[in-house]
Amino acid sequence: MGILRIEGLTKIFGSGHLEVRAIEDINLSVSEGDLVALLGPSGSGKTTLLLCISLILDPTGGKIVFDGQTIFQKNGWAGVDMRRLRREKIGFIFQSHNLIPFLTARQNVLLPLSLVGLKGEKAESRVRELLEYMEIADRADYLPALLSGGEQQRVAIARALANNAKLILADEPTASLDTARGVKVMGLLKKIAKENQSAVIAVSHDERMIEGFDYVYRLKDGRIVGEKTNSTLN
Amino acid sequence: MDLAVYDLKLHRGRFIATVIGVGLLFTIVLAMNGLYRGNIQEGLALIKATNPDLWVVERYRGGPFNEQSTLPEFYHYSVKAIPGVEKASPFIYYAVERPISGKSRHFSIIGYDVFGGLGGPQKIYAGRNIEQAHYEMVAHPKLGVRVGDRVPLGLHTYMVVGLTREAVSSDGEPMVYLSLSDAQEVLYQRDNEEVRSQRERLYRTLSGQSYLLPVQAEKLLPKLQPDTHIINAILVRLKPGINRAEVARGIEKWLYLSAFSTEEELQLMLKGRLASMTKQLLLFRTLLLIISVIIVSLVIYTFTMEKIRSIAVMKLIGAPNWVIIRMVMEQSLLLTIGAFLFGLALIHNTYQLFPRTLLIAPGDDLVTFIVAFAGGILASILGLWQALKTQPAMALGAQ
Repeated sequence: MGILRIEGLTKIFGSGHLEVRAIEDINLSVSEGDLVALLGPSGSGKTTLLLCISLILDPTGGKIVFDGQTIFQKNGWAGVDMRRLRREKIGFIFQSHNLIPFLTARQNVLLPLSLVGLKGEKAESRVRELLEYMEIADRADYLPALLSGGEQQRVAIARALANNAKLILADEPTASLDTARGVKVMGLLKKIAKENQSAVIAVSHDERMIEGFDYVYRLKDGRIVGEKTNSTLN
Repeated sequence: MDLAVYDLKLHRGRFIATVIGVGLLFTIVLAMNGLYRGNIQEGLALIKATNPDLWVVERYRGGPFNEQSTLPEFYHYSVKAIPGVEKASPFIYYAVERPISGKSRHFSIIGYDVFGGLGGPQKIYAGRNIEQAHYEMVAHPKLGVRVGDRVPLGLHTYMVVGLTREAVSSDGEPMVYLSLSDAQEVLYQRDNEEVRSQRERLYRTLSGQSYLLPVQAEKLLPKLQPDTHIINAILVRLKPGINRAEVARGIEKWLYLSAFSTEEELQLMLKGRLASMTKQLLLFRTLLLIISVIIVSLVIYTFTMEKIRSIAVMKLIGAPNWVIIRMVMEQSLLLTIGAFLFGLALIHNTYQLFPRTLLIAPGDDLVTFIVAFAGGILASILGLWQALKTQPAMALGAQ
C-alpha cells in the first residue's frame, strides 16, 4: 500500500497578473521503503511541493492521500489534525540541521518522543538506540554548537526517525556538508528506507547525491519534466 | 521535557543578570511598600502614644501636627474650667535642627507639664521619666544619645535621663521630651546680643513717635517684648462617663477653639500631611511595577525572537501550541518569580539600613507578588504573540 499519493497537485500564489504557478499538476506516488528524489534548479517548485507534502502549505488544487486517508482534495484539508499527523508519521531533515540549540543531542532526539507522550526509560532507550544507529552515541550530551555539521545532521536524522516515521522529508540534507559527509548522510537515508521501511523524499540540487534512489523526479517551472526509476537509472 | 529551563540554562548569565536587575526594581517596590507603612506608622505614632480624650487647638486649625496651631499658654486654665474636663495640659511640639555629639541632627521637641500633665512619654525603656522642672530630657535612641549624656540646646545643657522608643515625629525624626518651660525656652530664647539689638530698635521706633516721651517709651519696652508663653495645643482628659462630643462643642462654643478626638486627629493626618506622601508612593510603586513588566516583557520577547527558528522547527515536527505557550510563559514567570524572590530576600535583609522606618508587612509582600505574577503573565503576551504567529514553514527556509 502507498504511503503518499499526490494527484494533480497545484499551488498558485497571487492572482490576476501577479499570479505565480509555483507547482502545477504534480502526480507522484510513494510506497514504504521508497527512496524518492526531487531534483531541480532554484525556483522550480521543489520547496513548495515539500511544504505541501509537509501539510504546512495549502495547495490550490489536487489531491493528497496519506497512509490511505485522503487528507486534501479540492474542498481543502479533510479535517485532519495536521500537527498530530506530522509528529506521529512524518520525520523532517533540514538543510541547516535545525537542531534546537539549547537541547543536547540526546534531548533533541527525545523531543519528538516527548511530544507523543513517550517518557522514562522507554524513551531513553529509544534515544540511545537511535544515537548508536547513527554512530553518534558518544556525543549524546553535547549541545549542537559543539558538534560538527555531519554530526549535527546525524542527530537530525535520529530525531526524524524517533517516532518510526512512515515518511521522511529531507530538504537538501547534504547542502551544508562536504561531499564525503554528504555521501555518508545519503547512505544513511538509503539504509533507513530499506531497514525501517520508511519512505524517504529528498530534495536535492546535486545529482551525485541521489545515486541509488528508487525514483527521481525532475522539476522545472513547477512541473515534473522528467521521471526515472531505479531500473532506468541503472 | 522542560524546554524553558533548558533554554535558560544555556543563557544563564543573561537570565541571572536580568533577575538581579528586575529584582532590584522589585526591591524598590517592596521598600516603598515598607516606607508607606512606616510613614503611616510614624505619622500616627505620636498621636496614638499621646492619646488624650481631646486635642484642643487654635480655631479652624488642624493642629498641632497636621497644621501649625498657636495658643496662649494660660488657655489651658479656661479649658480646665469647662464642665466634664478632668485635666487640661499645655503641649508644645516643634522641629529643630541642632548639633548633637558634633553632628547636625534634625529632631522634634515636645514640651509638656512634667508634673502630672498629659503628653509625656508613656514607656521609658532605659532610665526614668523627667522629674525636675528644668534641664532634663527623655529622648529617642535614634538621636544617638544614651542615658547620662549631656546635650546642649540653646542656652542650656540638658541631661538625658531616659530613653523611649514609642514615638517619632511624622517625618520619622527622633523625638525629645522636655518640660514645657524648657521647650519654650529652646524654641523662643534668643541670643543676648540679639535681644539687646531688638530692644534698641524698638526703643528708637517708640521714641520717634511724637506722642511719646522717651521716658514713656522706656516704660513701654518690657510690655512689648515677644511673649514666649505660647503653646500649640491643650491635651484634655475627661471625667469618667462624660460625653466627649458635648465637651468638644462646649470648648468650641465658649472658648473660640477647635477640639478633636484622637481618632479625628489621626484622620487629619491621614487626609492631610500623609495623604500626598501616600499618593506619591502609590504612584511610584505603580510606575516601577509597570517598568518591571515592560522590562520582563522585552526580555521575554528577545528570548522568544532568538529561538523563533527553533519554535518553527517545533511546530513543523508537530509540537502543539501549548508546548510553545508553556515554554514562553514559564520563562516569563521564572524570570518574574526569580526577580521577586531576589527583591524579597534583599529587602528583608537590608530594611534596617534605610534612614526611614520600613515596615515590611507580609500582606504587602503577598499583594506585590500577586501583582508581579499577573505582570509576568502579561509580560509573556508579546513573546507568545510572536511565537504563535510563527509559521512552521520558516524551518524549511520559507517565510
